[in-house]
Amino acid sequence: MSTFLLILITGIGLGALYFLVASGLSLIYGLMGVLNFAHGAFLTVGAFFGFWYAKQSGFMITTPKFLLSMLIGGLGAGAFALLMEQLIIARMYERHVDQALVTVGVALVVGAALGGWFGNDLVLYPTPPYFLNGVNIAGAIIPADRFFYIGTALILLIANWALLKFTRIGLIIRAGVENRNMVAALGINVRRAFSTVFFLGGFAAGVGGVLISVYSNGVSPLIAGQYLIYGFIVVVIGGMGSVPGSFIAAMMIGVIRQFANYYVTGLGDFVVVILLAGVLLIRPQGLLGKAAA
Amino acid sequence: MLRWKYSRPFLATLLALLALAPILGGNPLAQPGLQQTLAVAFIYGGLALTYDLLFGFTGLLSFGHAIYFGSGMYITCILINHNVVPWYLAMVIAISITALLAMLVGMASLRTTGITFAMVTLAFGEAGHVIINRNFFGLTGGENGIALDATKVPQFWIGVVNTKYLYWTALLALIIVYAIIWWITESSAGRVFAALRDNELRVQVLGLDTQKFKLLSFVIAGSLASFLGVIMLLAAGSAAPRFADANLTIALLLMVILGGAVTRWGAVIGGILYSVATTRMQDLTQQPFFTDMPKIIGGPLSEPALTLGILFILVVMFAPGGLSGAYYKLRARAIAKK
Repeated sequence: MSTFLLILITGIGLGALYFLVASGLSLIYGLMGVLNFAHGAFLTVGAFFGFWYAKQSGFMITTPKFLLSMLIGGLGAGAFALLMEQLIIARMYERHVDQALVTVGVALVVGAALGGWFGNDLVLYPTPPYFLNGVNIAGAIIPADRFFYIGTALILLIANWALLKFTRIGLIIRAGVENRNMVAALGINVRRAFSTVFFLGGFAAGVGGVLISVYSNGVSPLIAGQYLIYGFIVVVIGGMGSVPGSFIAAMMIGVIRQFANYYVTGLGDFVVVILLAGVLLIRPQGLLGKAAA
Repeated sequence: MLRWKYSRPFLATLLALLALAPILGGNPLAQPGLQQTLAVAFIYGGLALTYDLLFGFTGLLSFGHAIYFGSGMYITCILINHNVVPWYLAMVIAISITALLAMLVGMASLRTTGITFAMVTLAFGEAGHVIINRNFFGLTGGENGIALDATKVPQFWIGVVNTKYLYWTALLALIIVYAIIWWITESSAGRVFAALRDNELRVQVLGLDTQKFKLLSFVIAGSLASFLGVIMLLAAGSAAPRFADANLTIALLLMVILGGAVTRWGAVIGGILYSVATTRMQDLTQQPFFTDMPKIIGGPLSEPALTLGILFILVVMFAPGGLSGAYYKLRARAIAKK
């Protein structure tokens, strides 16, 4: 029972990290049709921004300072995402394939620049001491950081939902995902919604980057790789443009992967791909996605 | 500018020179070092062409193409090393299994289109890469890959003195792949591929099974990639995960875009130049000129990906035709002037 709980909660924690990456990918794709390969670069940039602040505290860090480093990571990545959108993506709207290609170029350049400056080795990210504690739940000792990831993902999910539901820009984004041309035809400036979505996606990825650095015991230009791939899988399974869909799919994949890996090492990735194939065969638009127009 | 009636003799002369250079002597191609570099470059040129068939000619943006290259390599290497079958049978079996694999992956991922298809193929490709890295049953050797047992293949491919045979093999493989893709893209199926890229709905209205044609293109590109993977196994002497990961597919994308899609020779030139450039750039960045620079500039500059990435962004934004596109544009201008 205690092993079961440990695997379950670790899986959900991992799912929370996937969600942080996938939510932005999903919104950006849903609204703008941009497949953003630079999302991994957002994640890495965020991790390095956060690290730049956090490393001043040495090996251990107080909780408020850690939270601040997360915020700085998120803002840094958000600003970077906004910059990319303004400088490059905005110049080539309606050229979807070219946009995807350009983001590949950005990912390459960012990876090379960070690798050139900081080297590709893992550097330890300062972590609040209580992250290393165990929490006792029904006899299972569960590392405290898992709950922190889950909490962060939940807060971002709720903030995301509130923003989309209750603000004007949220309304424009939701309408834009539904039918962008119609929104533009009504005389609403969709471009601003594009920029907002890029910033938000970058922010979530940046926060995710900080947490992923903590989870993978360090920060390096290479940390994004696996998470970007899982982010893509989550978006496809959850349904393009659906943030709740991404949340459900992320949790599902995190948990299934952990359980499969517990029984046979390395089986997890395999099971996830089978799941992906299955979802595509039964529901090509994903769990909560709209049917293809 | 080169005109069509001159381009065939020009190509024939170029090929003859490339083929004869290693035995003529007195030129750089008589050296095993350059032969090896070019053999690898020819293989990447061919691989870029198979990617052009998918992406340029059929309009399928796949991000999992490298896995078929890697699959050809790994299956051949495993079958040869474990004495399952002789080397030639191993190659045939590897290509057949990869074709089957491409068919299965294609059937699942072609249920999606456009950008979603790119995501799905990426996911499948990475899954394959992860499986190779996990080293199931000790077959794939994990991150280190597996060395080909040199005693079990014909000896004329082995050793530095015999590099010229490897060079010819790679050149021949490139010519074979080029001929097959030329034949396919000029055939009626090739016309359907191009039509799928330009207007899929229209093809559907004409009563053709679009899925079947897309799958055909996907399987042909995958099988040819695995054939080149088999040749690469000989050239590299081992199978390694870097021949099967998404970075290689992204490199293929760079080769095709920089060289120019849908012109066939553009992709080949792009692949050859990219391959030679990345090999040479690594030597170049060890020079004092680079190492003496302050790290804030010299560090990123010594990574080939930075230069290539920036070049790639600029080409996509401002010169979508790439190298061959620019050539045709110049030629059209020259003809218009007359």
